[in-house]
Amino acid sequence: MSGLEIGLCSLAAMLILIWLGMHVAVALTLLSFLGVWAIKGNWVVASKLLALAAYDSIASHIFGVVPLFVLMGLLVSVSDIGKDTFEIAHRMFHRVRGGLGIATVAANAVFAAITGISIASAAVFTKVAVPEMLRLGYTPRFATGVVAGSSVLGMLIPPSLLLILYGFLAETSVGALFIAGIVPGLVLACAFAVLIVFLAHRVPSFVGGDEGRSVSANGEGNDAGALSLAIILAKLGPIVLLIGLVLGGIYGGFFTPTEAGAVGALGALLLALAKRKLSLRGFWQVLVETGHVTVSISFLIIAASIYTRMLTLSGIPQFVIGGIEGAELGFAAVLAIYVVIVLLMGTVLDSTSIMLVSLPLILPVMIGFNADLVWFGIVTVLAVEIGLLTPPLGIAVYVIASTLDDPRIKLGDIFIGAAPFAAIMLLVLIAVILWPPLSIALVY
Amino acid sequence: MTRGAGGGWRRRPIIAFERLMGVMNAVGTAWIFVLMVLINADVIGREAFAAPVRGVSEIVSLSIVGIVFMQLAHTLWVGRFTRSDAFLTRIQARWPRFAGGLETVYCLTGAILFAILFWASLPFFTRAVDIGEYVGALGDFTAPTWPVRLIILLGAAVTSVAFLILAAGHLKIALRGRETAG
Amino acid sequence: AAPASAETYKLTAAAGHPPVFLWVKLLSEFYIPEVDKRLAAAGADKIEWTEAYGGTVAKIGGVLEAIEEGVVDIGFVGTIFEAPKMPLQNVSYVCPFGSADIATVSGAIVKLQSEIPAMADSWTRYNQVYLGGAALDSYHLFTNFPVTSVADLAGKKILAPGPSANWVKDTGAVAVAGNLKTYYNDIKTGVADGVLTFTTGAWASKVFEVAPYVTKVNFGAQFAGGLSINKDVWDGFSPETQKIFRDVAAEYDVRFAEAQQAAADALLAKMIEGGAKVSELAAGERMKWAMMIPNVAKEWAATQDAAGLPGTEVLKGFMSTIKASGADVPRDWSAE
Ligand code: NA
Ligand code: NA
Repeated sequence: MSGLEIGLCSLAAMLILIWLGMHVAVALTLLSFLGVWAIKGNWVVASKLLALAAYDSIASHIFGVVPLFVLMGLLVSVSDIGKDTFEIAHRMFHRVRGGLGIATVAANAVFAAITGISIASAAVFTKVAVPEMLRLGYTPRFATGVVAGSSVLGMLIPPSLLLILYGFLAETSVGALFIAGIVPGLVLACAFAVLIVFLAHRVPSFVGGDEGRSVSANGEGNDAGALSLAIILAKLGPIVLLIGLVLGGIYGGFFTPTEAGAVGALGALLLALAKRKLSLRGFWQVLVETGHVTVSISFLIIAASIYTRMLTLSGIPQFVIGGIEGAELGFAAVLAIYVVIVLLMGTVLDSTSIMLVSLPLILPVMIGFNADLVWFGIVTVLAVEIGLLTPPLGIAVYVIASTLDDPRIKLGDIFIGAAPFAAIMLLVLIAVILWPPLSIALVY
Repeated sequence: MTRGAGGGWRRRPIIAFERLMGVMNAVGTAWIFVLMVLINADVIGREAFAAPVRGVSEIVSLSIVGIVFMQLAHTLWVGRFTRSDAFLTRIQARWPRFAGGLETVYCLTGAILFAILFWASLPFFTRAVDIGEYVGALGDFTAPTWPVRLIILLGAAVTSVAFLILAAGHLKIALRGRETAG
Repeated sequence: AAPASAETYKLTAAAGHPPVFLWVKLLSEFYIPEVDKRLAAAGADKIEWTEAYGGTVAKIGGVLEAIEEGVVDIGFVGTIFEAPKMPLQNVSYVCPFGSADIATVSGAIVKLQSEIPAMADSWTRYNQVYLGGAALDSYHLFTNFPVTSVADLAGKKILAPGPSANWVKDTGAVAVAGNLKTYYNDIKTGVADGVLTFTTGAWASKVFEVAPYVTKVNFGAQFAGGLSINKDVWDGFSPETQKIFRDVAAEYDVRFAEAQQAAADALLAKMIEGGAKVSELAAGERMKWAMMIPNVAKEWAATQDAAGLPGTEVLKGFMSTIKASGADVPRDWSAE
């Protein structure tokens, strides 16, 4: 068998094994091991690939703070800061169907200015927003889908690690990319909000929610006006403090977005203690939970990295992208094929890998067409980020599943919930492609 | 996932093994807290006293690997490895023995892969000890890599055994029918 | 030539960095096609290449092991990221304020590798054969404040990862950790006020946009790593194929030094166009700086000697080659 055939077989086998319920990371590792064994004709080499990847796939400063972002999310959740915030949001938006979904999108857009990675957004908002939405009657599919969909804002609104990586690969100004990401990021957030309102009216069974009915079990009224200003301040104060600490710290130059995870976690811890919502025992449980979420995400990332290495060794990405290069097509055709291929790669590869594999091959072609590389960067990151939501390997969805740990909510439910949001991303992507000023008007 | 894989077949060695996983999990858990303190100390040191903690970046990079392998087995044991269990749940109701058989195969696969990882990682550990492998730079900050390489070995071995024990539990279901419901 | 015995090999080439970096670009765009061309011309063996750059198979700092274990066959090993395994190759990083000439620095390492067996052994020990090397263009200072003297650094936070942290020790600057991917954001947000880096790296990471004051301190070109091939693969080659791999590697060496030097000069000009303010640090200040920092080279050599490696010998050999090249060397690290 050629490398290409081996790679294709492994793709098919992966779909089957994941569907049959094998642990996702185990399935990826198994197929990578068998794949490299077949490609190299040597199982020892395949085993060494596992050992190398186990040591270096997640060993980075950027990934190292993921548990701290998880910890921040859990602390915000156990200290009821998230609950209070969503209660106010609920009261403000109670006349809007799907209001809490919109609140989640808005909160994610703000959080996107804090974090450079979507995993952090997904982990934080799973714990903060999903339980509140479920409590208020939203369907599990919708609640998780909103969080999955809006987590991608973290990579579009600066700071963004993917845009920095693109800036490197394309030798393009990171500053220009950051600016170019803002409008599409906000457009995407607004499009999500419109989608939510649309779904709430047209497919209420998908959304759920009990807006219009009595809000809380203890018989409080459902009008924001019924709450005194003091109560609103008391409920919103902690979250405003926390956001102020983290945003102010980053934009005031005190710490990096990477370090923000640690500062935010400490801030959330202090707030939880101040609110007297956290016992020593409770804090330990939060830490244990943080560990389990981290491990479950990390094991997936390691396995996805091993799988990427196997696919690269099989030569499939080189073959496919090299094919575009050699076909001598027009600009529109090349761009369309490129986007489709990135979307397909997004189903099985992680974001960083897609960019590392495809950009060195496609960028010379784009430069040949005199394409604007800043615009192309936003197109690429948007296309790549759709992969976070698409099965079988959708990292954002997996992060939500790991963080939620609710046996009633299946992986498939989250993928279904995220699907409308992936579709909207696709529309925004097409808009950015057809109308470049959307991304680059602020830049030049 | 059958949580905790408990049931009638739990015996003393398994309780001892559970305790080992629990201790490793606790170490990893405490480590996360230390990481938070360390990064904050670096930020405060740098901003307030112009005295950053050198090597934090390197320590964080190594730590995440250490934390993950410390907690890997326990995370498996409590059923937190991500999977798509819609299909399994459906056949578990109808054909529990078939589901048990599938689970046995999955867990054995995991056990074998982690055994292979252990075997393949062993030389990297011994060499790290031999050459005094470190991260950082001489004259600045250095930290040895062998502790984390050792934790990878320990984590891989313990996870492999945990998979084996789970496989044994599922095999019983596959052979005798549904006696240890999850 | 014996074309009758011609064989087809499947080789995977890898690098931790993406091909925007010249050492990878030349591997992909010069080395591989040129080897193919010469093999075809000689009617010798044929290679089917799979290329995997940017860490898609082996990460930065993981290429040496990936080649050693046969996961990939040939690749660019960044010796800076392999300091514990290849300490001697990193001699230039403990000898700052050396030569700005890339060819001089990489030539010095090639010379040492041919003269001192322990240096060549560091490749064979990891089951590989060294083919050709590359050095980074000279390191300079990129800051968001003007610098005319060392005193200007007092209290400033300067990104200086790994061994370069020692270059600002005792100057009053605070060395902050980071890497090419974090420099831009770190300076933009104010976590750092500047960075010590090489011109081509500064261009790739776009730090000049946020740190427009470029002070040419000239810490010297630094040996970064080399092309290397798995020894089992190498031993399987015919002598003729081996010769072609070696010849093209020697040319890679030369071309790299020329192209990297030219790129550094051209990119500095482009930075000026982009608004960067370039100045050269006065010789007297450079001397003052060099005398201010600790002699880490001595400590480094002693550590190697204690480990049974010829640290002092390599240090002396390196410094003498640099001085012989006529470079303006304010401090001889080996003479103290
Ligand atoms: Na962001
Ligand atoms: Na996907």
